[in-house]
Amino acid sequence: MKQVLLNRIRTALAAALVVVAPMAFAQTTIKIGLITDKVGPAKGFAEPVAQGAIYAVKELNARGGLLGRQVELLVEDDQGRPDVSATAARKLVDAGAAFILSVSLTPATQQAQSVTLESKTPHMTPSNSGDTLTTQIVNPNFWQTGPLASTQIATLLSYARNKNFKRVALITDNSDLGQLTNRFFKAGLEKSGIQIVSEEVVPGGSTTADPQMQKVRAANPDALFMTGVLTPENALILRSYRQLGLKTPVLGNYNLSIPVYSSIAKGLLDGVTFVDGFDPAKPEAMRFIEAYKKDTGNEPYNLHGYGYDGVMLVVDAIKRAGSTDKDKVRDAMQATKAFSGVMGGVGSVYGFADGKRTGFDGNGMVVRVYEGDKQGKVVHVGAK
Amino acid sequence: MNDFLELVVGATATGCIYGLVALSYLLITRPTGVINFAVGEWSTLAAFGGFLLLSRLEWPYPLGMLLVVTMLLLIGWLTERFTVRPLVERGAPPLAPILALLGMLVVFREFASLVFGADPQPVPPAFGFGRLELGPVAGSYQSFFIIAVAAAVFAAAWMFFERTLAGKSFEAVAIDRRAAALMGINLRRVTSLAFAASAGVAALAGLLVAPNVSAHYLMGLPLAIQGFTALVIGGVGRVEGALLGGLILAFAEQFTVRYAPVPPGLAMGVPLVLLIVFLLVRPTGLLLPREART
Repeated sequence: MKQVLLNRIRTALAAALVVVAPMAFAQTTIKIGLITDKVGPAKGFAEPVAQGAIYAVKELNARGGLLGRQVELLVEDDQGRPDVSATAARKLVDAGAAFILSVSLTPATQQAQSVTLESKTPHMTPSNSGDTLTTQIVNPNFWQTGPLASTQIATLLSYARNKNFKRVALITDNSDLGQLTNRFFKAGLEKSGIQIVSEEVVPGGSTTADPQMQKVRAANPDALFMTGVLTPENALILRSYRQLGLKTPVLGNYNLSIPVYSSIAKGLLDGVTFVDGFDPAKPEAMRFIEAYKKDTGNEPYNLHGYGYDGVMLVVDAIKRAGSTDKDKVRDAMQATKAFSGVMGGVGSVYGFADGKRTGFDGNGMVVRVYEGDKQGKVVHVGAK
Repeated sequence: MNDFLELVVGATATGCIYGLVALSYLLITRPTGVINFAVGEWSTLAAFGGFLLLSRLEWPYPLGMLLVVTMLLLIGWLTERFTVRPLVERGAPPLAPILALLGMLVVFREFASLVFGADPQPVPPAFGFGRLELGPVAGSYQSFFIIAVAAAVFAAAWMFFERTLAGKSFEAVAIDRRAAALMGINLRRVTSLAFAASAGVAALAGLLVAPNVSAHYLMGLPLAIQGFTALVIGGVGRVEGALLGGLILAFAEQFTVRYAPVPPGLAMGVPLVLLIVFLLVRPTGLLLPREART
């Protein structure tokens, strides 16, 4: 009888340990929230960015964590929907997230800001490139470290300065980000005194871009700037470009830097110039590629780097703040200067100028040119 | 003039794709009254099948195409057997199968997304990406291939409905289900065959369009919308209507973009405005079903 009682006590104690141990772990971890799109239209880019963030947390914890505590990544799926994104942000705030990272569509990230503004929770997007994310809402708790569309066009124009383009065409898609990117490319071109002779839209779900490219061909521009971010539609544009026999130089936004083009636009890419936020020859990038490959068995590319840098920027801010106090972390993040990450050209750094909450180095983007179906080496750095 | 003829070829090929998707709708809608918005996802599955067999495993094109279409025939049959039939047999309201099929749309899409990932995948064209020039008429090999396959499918469908007893039984069910049943036509068999054939036609549409748009998990919905629009324009009663509707929609889309003096962002809305005007003028679609012809 006594033995039975002892066994019961032992079982109860073990059960209590099972329940209490994770609670104790949860209380001592530093929680970082990650809002990503697992099923919606942003999944294609959100997935690798999120994988980069997850790897960063794993690497960090293996090195002993942050402020002597382990870091816990709380992942929420917003399906690329603004309403769900705000709900996910609320859930993460309630769960005690010290910082939230958004890796989703621009409108979704924008909507999540309504929660982080109200709850004063530090919030950042490491990959969104829409120029309006930090200007439409005055949210001192929000930062953006993806390369802006205005930086992309400035870099491309810097590269093409000696080509003396006078008349160019723009082609985009009807996605929110595609439209926004097009707007800022157009503004950058007009500011440089370049005339836009044709401006076309290939809607998502199109089965051909022939009518739009016929118009481009008829306008006979000096160059064609691709500002769309929908990968299948960009492949359609390139296919029509080749089919219709166009020879105009093509310069693309950073969407053309993702490796999937090498397979879906096979045979169509040679000579296409594109702007990228990633230089595989940068020492930090080389170290990241090696470490990621060793850990996961998969080769990372530029999108993984955005997620990795996002987490590391947050970690750097919390470290300098010395705690997860929201006000201190906010001040520390705003004070970020000369943070060298995986992304950007050699020597480029993240940092927030006074009053600005966009942190990607204005001279940190690189220009590369496709050689056959492969991405060539960096041929130009910066926007000067 | 060259631009114009080039665009005629491209728009005809696009119209044929829309027409095939419209036919896929029609094959189910006509005998059962059920609208299956998952036809676009059937095309998606076929496109990924094409990626797997034709790109990855490099099977010969006819063999790969045949296997993909056969697989989709089976998927269509299974969809009816396990999604629609139980509802019909339990006396569910007419909207229930439509909602169940919308659920299947999500299932098919997420299946594709989970198995093949979020990135678009390449599907090779039947004869490469070359360009064929026949005098002033020019277009891609794939455009001519699409037109040829669609013409063959529509001719076969027309022959089936107009010249065969099995086709007549479909038509009889479409005109009056109860009377057809009383005449000994097996409604279950007709419905099963309708779903299987519909999935087979959607598979062809997916395989034909995939070399242009790539296989990706979000490709189904735009196809489903364009095919449904084509169906409404052409009328749900006749096979020829599906093709006619597809061609009208594609020509309206592409000639508006190319020639209409409207800003590029608004050009894509013009065909939809035309559709609304069209429906106001002729709500039954262009071609009326057999029983209503006067």
